[in-house]
Amino acid sequence: MQSWLRDSDPGIRISDNVIGVPTGKREPTMRTLLKAALAGATLMTPASAALAQDKVELTLWHMEQPPHRVQRVQEVIDAFNAANPDIVVKQEPQNWGEVYAKAPAAIAAGQGPDLLFAIPDFTPILKDIGALNSVEDFVKELDAKHDFVDSAVEAYSYDGGVWAVPLYNMAMNLWYRKSVFQEAGIEVPETWEEWKAAAEALSKDGVYGIGLPANKQLYTDQTVYSFMVNGGATEIYNEDGSLRFDNPETVASYRFYADMHKMSPADSTSWTWGEAEACFSSRSCAMVLQFTVIATYDTQAEGDAADLGVAAIPHAEGQEGHNTISYANAVMILAKDEAKREAAEKFISFLLEPENYGRFLNMEPGLFMPVTADGAKAESFWSDPMVQKYKSQIETVIQNAANGRLFGFTSGRTFPSIAAISAQNIIAETLQNMVVNGQSAEEAVAAGQARMEEVSKQ
Amino acid sequence: MLQSRAIAFAFVAPALLFLAAILGWPLVQAVLLSLQDVRVIGSPGAFVGLSNYERVLGAPAFWRAVGLSAVWVLANAVLQTALALAAALVLNEKFPGVRIARTWIIITWIVPTVVVVVIWRWLFSTSGGMINPLLLQAGLIERPVGFFATPWTAMATLVFINSWRWFPFIALMVLAGLTRVPEELYEAARIDGANAWERFKSITWPLLAPTLSVLAVIGTLLSFNVFDIIWLLTAGGPAGGSRTLPVLIYETAFKGYRLSEAAAISVIATVLLMAFAILATRTLEKGEER
Repeated sequence: MQSWLRDSDPGIRISDNVIGVPTGKREPTMRTLLKAALAGATLMTPASAALAQDKVELTLWHMEQPPHRVQRVQEVIDAFNAANPDIVVKQEPQNWGEVYAKAPAAIAAGQGPDLLFAIPDFTPILKDIGALNSVEDFVKELDAKHDFVDSAVEAYSYDGGVWAVPLYNMAMNLWYRKSVFQEAGIEVPETWEEWKAAAEALSKDGVYGIGLPANKQLYTDQTVYSFMVNGGATEIYNEDGSLRFDNPETVASYRFYADMHKMSPADSTSWTWGEAEACFSSRSCAMVLQFTVIATYDTQAEGDAADLGVAAIPHAEGQEGHNTISYANAVMILAKDEAKREAAEKFISFLLEPENYGRFLNMEPGLFMPVTADGAKAESFWSDPMVQKYKSQIETVIQNAANGRLFGFTSGRTFPSIAAISAQNIIAETLQNMVVNGQSAEEAVAAGQARMEEVSKQ
Repeated sequence: MLQSRAIAFAFVAPALLFLAAILGWPLVQAVLLSLQDVRVIGSPGAFVGLSNYERVLGAPAFWRAVGLSAVWVLANAVLQTALALAAALVLNEKFPGVRIARTWIIITWIVPTVVVVVIWRWLFSTSGGMINPLLLQAGLIERPVGFFATPWTAMATLVFINSWRWFPFIALMVLAGLTRVPEELYEAARIDGANAWERFKSITWPLLAPTLSVLAVIGTLLSFNVFDIIWLLTAGGPAGGSRTLPVLIYETAFKGYRLSEAAAISVIATVLLMAFAILATRTLEKGEER
């Protein structure tokens, strides 16, 4: 019997049975329970507040929503928290579709995260509302230790600062089945002419020679730009910030893309990444341009590593070398508080340590590529079973990523309008004007430049 | 009389205050936002008067979206009403399993939108879908059709999917209306030798018309605001062929970073809908008076 029970305590006995007959046991009444809870809460509050004061809490927003990725990020966070008892990192997964609107709103309301993952065109938006401080010194420090891939840092370096810390890279590649090429007597294409001939030869028996998207969506921006960088149309801005999208190389790139698109499924005007992967997995598409198809090929197709081919994207006749689009994903430090910023830097340093970095990247094996020299050699990266199985493909992807470029982030200067151009998918919209509305490449590219100029002025 | 009115008002006051808080206040905020030049949520904006309205009303994209919204609403109204009426007439008959059919018909309405989208996207896919192979086997087409490939096929496909999702709900409303039609009227008509079409034309349709009119008003308002299915299936494409006003508002706010301009479009859309609702309500009231 507990001493705080008194006979004088009135109220309904919670232990009375359903027909209202007392059970005979002395039980706490509702009032005493409330008193106890209040007393407990009074005692607990200062204690928990003191505990919270001892620790620096960091909130991380990232957009890697699939459960297995969230779980892997949590494992890495748990390891960090265990190694740093004075810091508590917690993750709050978001999605790319919402975060462009949600993050500025949360920051304005004082509820923003301390760390936020980014792609290059996201940082100008947050920089413009004053949410970012340059992390140039921190990036230099990390670069000295781990040696960043130059293009990864370049994408976040503009206006006299570095606005995010590169974390991983994604680069577009040409995926195919070696056995399909062999049966058709096709070599891996190096140039656009060879590529078109290959796609034509493979377009038979209900199979589409190549699966290329024509949706007004980011995936199409990425595939079209992959053509542009291999057609000599890498730059969309002049040095002075004026647009140079409308030029003969861009026109030729669009014309070739539209030609190749004729060998794609009719509904590719609504494709995103998933449909292309599904088309390749189901053998309906002989070739696709994708960052990776490894996970779907392994789980939903035959999963024969020896048969999965990956190559650099072919280039136009007269151009040299293979290029691709690459997205260096990064993390922004939004925390303003000095202690939080220090803790955030500690967490990022932890992520980039070779012994942790591979585990972090392999939240989706074959998709996220290292952006540091020591990360590319890390045992933690290469020891993953899936990475081991598709080692040769991943090596090729890393090799291709070294020649990665990103529209609007190629000249060392970034112009704010790239955020709107990218967000409104004007590169993809230009293609739709050809594929859906029947415009010529010249007309569509001229209209594309006009649209870019329009959104740049707004 | 005055006292009873005051009491009645006192009873509805909490609900009115609640509505004012959750509807009126955001609407006021939207109007204020539309008079500024805020680009991104959380960023400051200066007062610019009616310039956002001028820009919106002068933009071809806005008028195209208005036109597409009208097509969308009208096509959905026609298809949903036809399907709902047919389903309700069938469910109003007595046959084994009618109770189960009445319950299970609403399953398409219960299924979450994202599931509806995934199912139909797959069914209509040209690579791996089910509908194209069926049409090919039946000899109706020579090559796979891209249902979302052109502006008009995309709009037609979206209308079909949205109607498929919503018609059972309307069917149940119509069914409720049908159950109120006295059976004696049909019996009298049968005795007079009226066939099924004559019974429908002279009894069912006139007695059902008020129900259908109310549903048309509600359905128009609901259809106009549909965003999820369109965004998830076509994102307003291809080439803007399914960019209705709600899609344009979203694109302007969150892809174009012109929040105030999006607010101006929202205010115009609200005015259009309110005008429609008032006009429709008055027409219905006049109809009832007659």
